[in-house]
Amino acid sequence: MITVNAMGDQCPIPVVKTKNAIKEMKKSDVVEVLVDNEIAVQNLTKMANQKGYEVTSEKKAEGAFRVEMKVEIADVAEETVAEPVVCIPDARKNTVVVISSNVMGGGDDKLGGNLLKAFIFAVTQQDELPSTMLFYNGGAKMTVNDSPALEDLKSLEAQGVEILTCGTCLNFYGLTDELAVGGVTNMYEIVERMNNASLIVKP
Amino acid sequence: MVTFSTVTAAMAMEDYCMGHGVAGRIIPLPQEISAGCGLSWRTQPEEKENLIQMMAEAGLTWESMHECML
Repeated sequence: MITVNAMGDQCPIPVVKTKNAIKEMKKSDVVEVLVDNEIAVQNLTKMANQKGYEVTSEKKAEGAFRVEMKVEIADVAEETVAEPVVCIPDARKNTVVVISSNVMGGGDDKLGGNLLKAFIFAVTQQDELPSTMLFYNGGAKMTVNDSPALEDLKSLEAQGVEILTCGTCLNFYGLTDELAVGGVTNMYEIVERMNNASLIVKP
Repeated sequence: MVTFSTVTAAMAMEDYCMGHGVAGRIIPLPQEISAGCGLSWRTQPEEKENLIQMMAEAGLTWESMHECML
């Protein structure tokens, strides 16, 4: 694994450092980039998606993020073509996504589980990210260990999307100690986030 | 990307792959591809031959394969 330390760097430096590290690569490898801000994570994720590298990211601590991309050798050859690095503005909009169940829609729960997983993946692929995602009732099962959407939610969190799960719901389902991404919230904050949203998206 | 003609076939693929530690994941079918049902299996292009053989052995039915950058 190759590590690129871009802590303290603002866009476009993390992307430039990463591209330079990739240029030096002789074989396929995993590149990890350490950064201290969400915008850098967004720009690195966008770069990786454009290049076709598989990319994941996570928030390690306050002001500490890790982006991991799998760079294939065939891609590295293309990397020799110099391209300008463009800093994208913050991709977050004042949209709140509300996940109130561990399935999407009513009917068959196995299908509904797959639909919700696909929905959360599709959120990661949008040019505009939500500012907040709220999880309550059965939706609380999506932010805990063994959730099928955990990797996507960690990536969204690393890009600055606030992931909040209802504490009452975690308690009800016996999942309080299992929360694996984002923070715990209460009904006042849920109402406040919804009230202040310019748009609420509910699958 | 592997596409399937039915959602049931896509879900059977996921069950089998997760149970056997096969790399890849279900994602919604990219809009650039117009085929099959709305779910598809995503994995690395070099897995193609292994995947074809595995699906044949496991009796998993698939519709088409596409190589694309996501």
